[in-house]
Amino acid sequence: MDTPPDRRCRSLVAVPAYNEGATVRGVIDAVRANLPDCDVLVVDDGSRDEAATALAGTGAIVATHLCNLGYGHAIQTAVLYATRHGYDRLITLDADGQHDPAQVRGLLTEFDSGRWDILIGSRYVVQHKYDGVPLGRRLGMQLFSTLVGLLAGQRIYDTTSGLKVIGRRAFVPLTRWHFIDFHAEALVYLMRLGFRIGEFPITVRERRHGPSMYSALSHVKYPLKTMFMLLLGVVHADLSRKRAS
Amino acid sequence: MTFAGVLLGVAIGIVLLSWVMNLVGRDRLYVGYGVIFVLGTLAAMTVLIVPPLLDAVTRASVALLPVPSLSIVALVIFTFMMVYVFTQITVLSNRVMRLTKELAIRNAQQEGDVERRAAERR
Repeated sequence: MDTPPDRRCRSLVAVPAYNEGATVRGVIDAVRANLPDCDVLVVDDGSRDEAATALAGTGAIVATHLCNLGYGHAIQTAVLYATRHGYDRLITLDADGQHDPAQVRGLLTEFDSGRWDILIGSRYVVQHKYDGVPLGRRLGMQLFSTLVGLLAGQRIYDTTSGLKVIGRRAFVPLTRWHFIDFHAEALVYLMRLGFRIGEFPITVRERRHGPSMYSALSHVKYPLKTMFMLLLGVVHADLSRKRAS
Repeated sequence: MTFAGVLLGVAIGIVLLSWVMNLVGRDRLYVGYGVIFVLGTLAAMTVLIVPPLLDAVTRASVALLPVPSLSIVALVIFTFMMVYVFTQITVLSNRVMRLTKELAIRNAQQEGDVERRAAERR
């Protein structure tokens, strides 16, 4: 008797997608070519474009949000799915084609060393510079990287990377606490809880289709909300640790 | 404003801040609303604590709309009611989110089962 797929494949590749119909199929095909031993889950976060048509026949499992909940909630759906189906690792990839699935092998090898609970594919961990990034975004990245260093005692240079490998141990806290985009606020929360988070160098391609998920207004809203959640996350994580000890 | 009035205002501000932070921490108030309430409360407390700012704001508000000082009480009550209303909206919104995620996962599971059976038949 065959082993059910969710036991045979220990890794789940999750691709959160919102209006990425132009690129998502290419991403799935590349994932299947480079990671044939992994299951693929696309979380369609209420797309209004041709994403559903593009996904037909790819062999990917599709979890469709009936309305747009946001990136953080799409990731939480993927974590919940991975938890319920007994996966050991969750690999998250952006649906816009910026990440090369061929680079995931390197991340998995490093992750399997057992040193990390979460490993981030990082664009800036080697040079520690944000060259080529627009000024506003660069300031935000520097701010949040510094804040993570101050609040968690370890600097993370690419807090907004969508390419991550998440170990099973981190699944439960990721679904219990509420996050905005699974960026700095999530990293600080997990590190304060004692999870080991590392960075692994990757390169990314330029985004070729559609607008970024960050609008002009979100450049004001995002830092305020993230800083607020950073502080609350620190308090919540410290209280949780005290109660547990 | 008298010293006792400033103290009372600051005390109300601290209560409001603590309540909002607690609600956001328990996921009963959306963080975006929380940020607005926190910034608004901090701004109001700053105006109360810095006398020249309080004078300027008082002069400007009286010039624009002469209202009795008792209306401040109504404003405080209204702010607390707003927090309550937004809490209810957040609770409702969280329930919709949970349902949406659950439906997505269950439908994905069923779809996966159908594909698996089809693959087995092949």
